[in-house]
Amino acid sequence: MSFEPVLLKRWGKPNSQALETYQADGGYSALKKALAMEPPKVIEAVQKSGLRGRGGAGFSTGLKWTFLPKDVQGPIYLCINGDESEPGTFNNRVLLEEDPHQVLEGIVISGYATKSTTAYLYLRYEYGDCYRACEKAIKEMYANNLLGKNILGSGYSLDIYLHRGACAYICGEETGLIESLEGKRAWPRIKPPFPAIEGAFRRPTVVNNIETMACVTQILDRGPEWFQSIGIPSENPKDPGSYGPKLYCISGHVNKPGLVELPLGITARELIDKHAGGVWKGRKAKAVVPGGISMGFLSAEELDTKLDFAGPGKAGCLGLGTAAVIVIDHQTSMVDVLYNTCRFFAHESCGQCTPCREGTAWSAKILARIRAGQGTLKDLDTLTDISNSIGIMPGTTICGLADGAAWPIKNALKKFRPEFEEYITSGRRSQSLEVAGSH
Amino acid sequence: MPTVFINDIEIEVGPKENLVQAAERAGVEIPHYCWHHDLSVVASCRMCLVEVGEKKPDGTISMIPKLVPACQTPAKPNTVVLTNSDKVKKAQAQTLEFLLLNHPLDCSICDQAGECYLQDYTYKFGKAHSRLNEPKVQRVDKYHIGEQIALFTDRCVMCTRCVRFTREISGTSELQVTNRGSVEEIDIFPGEPCNNKLAGNVVDLCPVGALCSKDFLYKKRVWWLKTQNSVCQNCSTGCSIHVDQEDNRLYRIRPRENELAQGSFMCDEGRFGWKYVESESRLFGPRVGKSQVASQHYVAQPYAVSAGDTSHAHSNGASGSVANGTAVSHAQVALNELATVDPWPTALNATRLAIKSVVDSGADRFAVVLSPMMFCEEAFMLAKYIKSLNKKITLAMGPVPVVAEDDVYPKGPKGEPPAAGKEKFTIRAEKCPNRLGVEAVLKHFQGEVIGFNTIAERLNAKKFDGMYLVGGYPDAWLDESVLNKLSGLSTLIVQDILNSPLTDMATIVLASGTFAERQGTVVNHSGLAQEVIQSIRSAPDVRPDGRLLFELSQRQGMYNAASIRIEMAKEVPAFAVFANAIGELGIQLFTIVEGKSA
Amino acid sequence: MSGLTEVAKQKIRDLLPCYPSKQALTLPALHIAQEEARCVTREAVREIADILELSPAQIHDTLSFYGFFKDEKHPLGENRIWVCRSLACMLRGGDELLAEVCDRLHVSPGQTTKDGKATIELAECLGACDGAPCILVNDKLQLRMTADAVVSLAEGRA
Repeated sequence: MSFEPVLLKRWGKPNSQALETYQADGGYSALKKALAMEPPKVIEAVQKSGLRGRGGAGFSTGLKWTFLPKDVQGPIYLCINGDESEPGTFNNRVLLEEDPHQVLEGIVISGYATKSTTAYLYLRYEYGDCYRACEKAIKEMYANNLLGKNILGSGYSLDIYLHRGACAYICGEETGLIESLEGKRAWPRIKPPFPAIEGAFRRPTVVNNIETMACVTQILDRGPEWFQSIGIPSENPKDPGSYGPKLYCISGHVNKPGLVELPLGITARELIDKHAGGVWKGRKAKAVVPGGISMGFLSAEELDTKLDFAGPGKAGCLGLGTAAVIVIDHQTSMVDVLYNTCRFFAHESCGQCTPCREGTAWSAKILARIRAGQGTLKDLDTLTDISNSIGIMPGTTICGLADGAAWPIKNALKKFRPEFEEYITSGRRSQSLEVAGSH
Repeated sequence: MPTVFINDIEIEVGPKENLVQAAERAGVEIPHYCWHHDLSVVASCRMCLVEVGEKKPDGTISMIPKLVPACQTPAKPNTVVLTNSDKVKKAQAQTLEFLLLNHPLDCSICDQAGECYLQDYTYKFGKAHSRLNEPKVQRVDKYHIGEQIALFTDRCVMCTRCVRFTREISGTSELQVTNRGSVEEIDIFPGEPCNNKLAGNVVDLCPVGALCSKDFLYKKRVWWLKTQNSVCQNCSTGCSIHVDQEDNRLYRIRPRENELAQGSFMCDEGRFGWKYVESESRLFGPRVGKSQVASQHYVAQPYAVSAGDTSHAHSNGASGSVANGTAVSHAQVALNELATVDPWPTALNATRLAIKSVVDSGADRFAVVLSPMMFCEEAFMLAKYIKSLNKKITLAMGPVPVVAEDDVYPKGPKGEPPAAGKEKFTIRAEKCPNRLGVEAVLKHFQGEVIGFNTIAERLNAKKFDGMYLVGGYPDAWLDESVLNKLSGLSTLIVQDILNSPLTDMATIVLASGTFAERQGTVVNHSGLAQEVIQSIRSAPDVRPDGRLLFELSQRQGMYNAASIRIEMAKEVPAFAVFANAIGELGIQLFTIVEGKSA
Repeated sequence: MSGLTEVAKQKIRDLLPCYPSKQALTLPALHIAQEEARCVTREAVREIADILELSPAQIHDTLSFYGFFKDEKHPLGENRIWVCRSLACMLRGGDELLAEVCDRLHVSPGQTTKDGKATIELAECLGACDGAPCILVNDKLQLRMTADAVVSLAEGRA
């Protein structure tokens, strides 16, 4: 069964960023439909579609919107999380570079549904082309009454401001993003209060991901039933299901790295073999990151895992994350791979909570020493202890960064322990080059 | 009142209490670094993790699987808290191992040793070794962080209490966190040190040896210090304080938490403003008769003197003319020899005679000027004694030092005071501890408060032949014009602590004590009466004011502030509440309606 | 070192209506400052603090968190080239690329070439893993990089 891309359908078309071509392809009809509905009906439609946030946590988008207090006096803020920084992830970049209006239309619809007065699109600094594409698109929208006062005569008004980040992974955490937006260091906030009650500027706030916004546009355009017809249905009453199309990023040791749109629930093996041209150089996959490095690793035996919201968890991974698949071939040392992830999280830990600040840095130091041929088997127990003691799940940190730092350690030491033991006992040193950084 | 269960101890909790506070009242210590009741909750140190659950109406208990920070968790009805389960103990030990990873473990040279929460918690909740097998992060100490504070960067646990203090309490925002992750540090913006008038509080707030007081640094191991409750004398806020001393020597002053007085903090003027206690200009003993050589008085550092060792004290001359003990004037030597045991009976007798001789020739020609630096009991004893001699003797108030305006915190971005209702700390313009208390005494005995300006005018009009002036101020307190007028008096009795032009011209000098040497009560701006407990002994021939006045008025027995207060409660309606014990936090003496915000 | 130009100050003030708090202008203001001077001088921090009614320490707190803004002792070269070192790029030679580029340009990450043409930085995932190894030149991504390509970009030949 072939699947026709929806979110990416305009990718590669000439001048796909322009309002003119977007409207020629039927753009902003979803907004018109939404504006003809009462805001609660829009929320209902999104809830009915089963849309779960595409940023990593997979929380129901419609349900999140209902957490806003009723009858709010004063502003409500909509923050769009374009701080895509999870290693392996680039779907939002492509969406904004290629088809910014699809996302912006979703923002206006979501703003209308949540009665937001201002939207801030927090965009990571690295995405300069996205910034320029959005800047241009927003200008076009203001010029065509798709933004600003009384949008399309509906009585609803919204401003969208672009806010550029400055290269910090933690700004992708929703309360870190809010703090960064407010001009402070991006230290995630303690919850409660949750952003819906007290978010940006201490006002009710919704934070949504870029791809989620594109989904909202399509749900309003094609109806929640269409969205529900795609993906993996709920398995039990506690499982909210995995509905709709998803953008899968594929990178690492494959022949054709890239972005593909597929129904949620494709297996890792199918994704690699059918959509990424297989593992490169005729090699085999040793490990596969299922959804950004914070999700951990699938082993070669686990490649039939479905990449829906529930699948990676069943294989011991943290979750689907951003559905960014990184393939690691069998000639690669897992010690190098794990060192890379630990180094990343040590660099990106915001430094607020003791266990994460110290634990991530310590684990990176231990792995650096193992790579230098100075490891001991005891180090593996220490690493396991560190990984078990940091994160939201044991309750020792404010945000989930530490869980993301812990999971690759847990998975690697569980699924690839003999390789680590052999590495240490053989006294091997890493073949990989690494340049010491200034930070 | 809702009830919570802390390790099976049932305890009622207040509406705004968190689990740290509830546990504390249940006698259970939940270790914490970042949380402080006067600062915003950040829940970042993760030292206070506990297991929580809920006791259902049917008696069953359901626990949350993950740990939660006690500081961030409100004490809701029927909350069940475990602070000593294996899970909690493991998390506590792990957090401490993390905190100590890059810590230099330099307790042997650290000022905080003995009152350090890294030491205490490691002892109680930690483990004895670290598994770290890597080089520690090296950090550079920052002595430049403030005039009074130094940062030992590598001891910091990043609780950010200090940063939050400068943003939330002082409002001056000099401190910041720099960098990110494991290399972050506390710092200032280059060239803009943390010198606000509340800066010293960050040293108290720092739970470890990172922020240290330069004034106290390497002066004394804290376990040798003995602590006494006292009240800051620097302004009419009357901050409750701890006075830390050892071997009769004062080392530091720290705020003592008191919601009735100032809260948790104190200002640096008070914190470091006690140095006059050991000033080289301290009066060392009484003197009768005009000084023969200006500035040749009994002068000493009281602290260098142990009881009975007066010869050493004499070598500490106040002026260049007193190079050593041989330069002490003959009169002084004579008096001193007479009073080898105690010069005071002679001095006090001379004082009584001097007063009598003026009063005999006209009681209205004599005035007694009380000081707002006096304690209530002292003012009462002197006033009562004087009026018992003759009702016509004038009782008046000495100069009430006022400097600029009240200094209110937190400051705004341009240094402006906070809006009404947002005040968190006030350094008051009135630089004395007990104007209200002394005024109450004056109103009772004199019927009114005669200000010092009136006294100066009457002096000008040559209405007095003799005067008894009480000082006790930390620095010179009379200007030259007044001094000139006083020089015309036949009798000038000065009860004071520091050598000055005034004591030079006095006919009798009564060397009295500073607050640290005295016992008694002061009444702050809001009418709160608090007790100052004596912390150190005076030098041998210095008489703390309470005892001095007790003996001057020829009372029987020993001076005891509490019994004087009972007497006051009976005789002076304004002091009726003195019939009750004052307690550590003080007692409201009057209700003050201030024109300005408190 | 000098502070902000009047043009930059005005750019910052122009953003005031976009946010309900002045502090929210911190990041935009720092970007404006660095774009103008290739670094954020102490004086610029003071001036931003003044406009935003904050203390310089509060601005610097945020500034230093990101590791993105350069102080006046380390201004950026004409181009800032970030070489990605995160997993997807590492698997396809990111580390080797960075090592070779640094070697050929005689710089360490974070440093600027002697001719002032390029500052080489190491980056965490740049979000162009489909084109690993990738780099960011100022704020434009360049995919599927070789050391030759990066060096010619750094030398201003591409």
